[in-house]
Amino acid sequence: MNVALPPFKERARAALADRTLKLAIDRTTGTAEAKRAAAVAAFPEFDAARARGRAIKDHVIANLGHYLEMFERNATASGAHVHWAVDDAEARAIVTRLCLDAKAKVVTRSKSMLGEEIGLPHALADAGIERVETDLAEHIIQLAGETPSHIIWPAMHRTREQVAELFNASHQPPPEADDPATMVQSARRVLREKFLGADVGISGANFLVADTGATCTVTNEGNAELTTTPPRVHIVTAGIEKIVPSTAHAMALLRILVRSATGGELTQYTTFHCGPKRPGDADGPEEMHIVLVDNGRTKMLAGEFREMLRCIRCGACMNHCVVYRQIGGHAYGGTYPGPMGSVLTPVLDGLAAARDLPNACTMNGRCAEVCPVGIPIPTLLRAWRRRSWRERLEPGALRAGIGLWAQVAYRPALYRLASRIGVRALRAFGRDGWIGSLPLAGGWTAYRDLPRPSGRTFMEQYRDQQKGRK
Amino acid sequence: MTARDTILNAVLAACPAGDARAVADAAAALLDDPDSSRPPLAAPGLPEAFTLKATALGASVERVANMASVPEAVARYLERHGLVGLSVQPAPALTALDWTGIATHDHLAADEPAALGLALYGIAESGSLVVHSGPDAPILLSFLPLHHIVVLRESTLLPWLEDYAARLEAASVPRNAILITGPSGTTDIEGSYVRGAHGPGFLHIIITGTDDIPE
Ligand code: SF4
Repeated sequence: MNVALPPFKERARAALADRTLKLAIDRTTGTAEAKRAAAVAAFPEFDAARARGRAIKDHVIANLGHYLEMFERNATASGAHVHWAVDDAEARAIVTRLCLDAKAKVVTRSKSMLGEEIGLPHALADAGIERVETDLAEHIIQLAGETPSHIIWPAMHRTREQVAELFNASHQPPPEADDPATMVQSARRVLREKFLGADVGISGANFLVADTGATCTVTNEGNAELTTTPPRVHIVTAGIEKIVPSTAHAMALLRILVRSATGGELTQYTTFHCGPKRPGDADGPEEMHIVLVDNGRTKMLAGEFREMLRCIRCGACMNHCVVYRQIGGHAYGGTYPGPMGSVLTPVLDGLAAARDLPNACTMNGRCAEVCPVGIPIPTLLRAWRRRSWRERLEPGALRAGIGLWAQVAYRPALYRLASRIGVRALRAFGRDGWIGSLPLAGGWTAYRDLPRPSGRTFMEQYRDQQKGRK
Repeated sequence: MTARDTILNAVLAACPAGDARAVADAAAALLDDPDSSRPPLAAPGLPEAFTLKATALGASVERVANMASVPEAVARYLERHGLVGLSVQPAPALTALDWTGIATHDHLAADEPAALGLALYGIAESGSLVVHSGPDAPILLSFLPLHHIVVLRESTLLPWLEDYAARLEAASVPRNAILITGPSGTTDIEGSYVRGAHGPGFLHIIITGTDDIPE
């Protein structure tokens, strides 16, 4: 989706230099981390709930064909139309055609990361359809002409002051003050007019309930219902991995999803949509369409990234990631940022384009610790690194360097000799116990100092110690 | 080959279909012993547990003896907030009440100041109200007003989310089923919580008991 972005390293460098960005990231992720911790502390059964959530997702993934067919059958029986899309282009084409068939001039959208993944915003613009983002954060980034920088708080890279600037320029009349409450009121007023005049409402789904054919969406603002109820046509786009067997299974997952995402127990609105308006119903759309999207998911199912299909898009891994918290979401360059994005972006955009992402990780394991469905993200990132090496995607100099190191490491005597020379040489660069700069290693020492080595290798010291014991 | 076949073939190639019966049994087993993985209720009694949760979320809760006491409680709420006029959900349980003294109507304006609805269930675990769409239940009634007043009959309180799931799947699933858990809110600007984003900024819940009033 991202055409002609500068390389990852440049994006990361620019993000690191942006102090306002760092401030904005800290304000939101800091709160999110504290609230999640409090929610988990207040729920002693959290680990058991996680184990159950993980087992539910594994069961669905192992029986995905069975459940997809069951969902399709029940959704169709409810009067919804089910469409299938192999990739993003097909999904875009289906949604655009449905909008054009409905003669839509204005489309309201409730936040959906899948919509971003398939490039829906651009597709609607290209079709000449006015798109109104109704989630507050999506409204902010629509005004700014940006993409989401976080899967739960898409506008978290913007400070309150920056949001005020956007609203002052586009809301009529502009908000009276720049505190969040006044700005939220202003957006409420501006968007309220749009909701009731839309021709089509588009939403995503957190779960697809196989045995009822319903789609389930969780939101806090109430914009989802205002998006899906008034228009004549409601379109849902969802990844095929969103299936759960029944409503009760969805409930078990909701308990861990919301706590991990925002630290709440449930979001303010948990909505199940099942087909179009029934005869006599007081309101609701006349048509409901569900677009089931593959876009790389069956490839993941068949390979070593299957576990990633458990992801319920809670965002906890990015809130707790030391790298994300330094560079924010945009630097990653994909639809999905942070640790989960570093696993998914190579699937979606290809490893050649995204091979820097699995490397931009300290392997500290925080993401896997907080992931509510136990996805071993560091292990999956290592799998991408291995594949990148196998496919010879690393630059020649790096490959040569690592190849040389490997040649030495295969020969213990040579390796010990080299490290003996190495530590002694390194000492020469030390000042006051620290090494502040090194030839050929400026990329490393520009940001951190190394302690000056003792001058003797581990093996030398170990041998002496063993002798001393005897 | 259609997209549907392409996708299902790829899925089945990676994960061959199992016996439908065995899959259903495995799915049911995943829900065994629900107590081991859900939080305890906030209080032993359902109305008390519900009230603790709902008020913590920013809703206000009051308990009245029975349905007949609802108009009086609503009148007090409207007066407290300086509101005149009330959109009432066209549900017989509400329209049959004596609304003398309150200007009620049955339509919904885009910026409706206050509306009264009836919850189908309450869930004590999370302080959630359940509403279903239907001929006498417009969904927008829960979203357009600034003040959303909801009548919850004590007899419809359920302990856990699973209890509601069982009710939902036993009956015919409505077009739209919604769990409302506190007033509308957002944390989209710097993570700070603001009430009343697109939906109601105020949620007032009137729990009705079953006491008979002597006529
Ligand atoms: S990988 Fe885990 S922590 Fe990250 S978004 Fe997905 S479910 Fe949440």
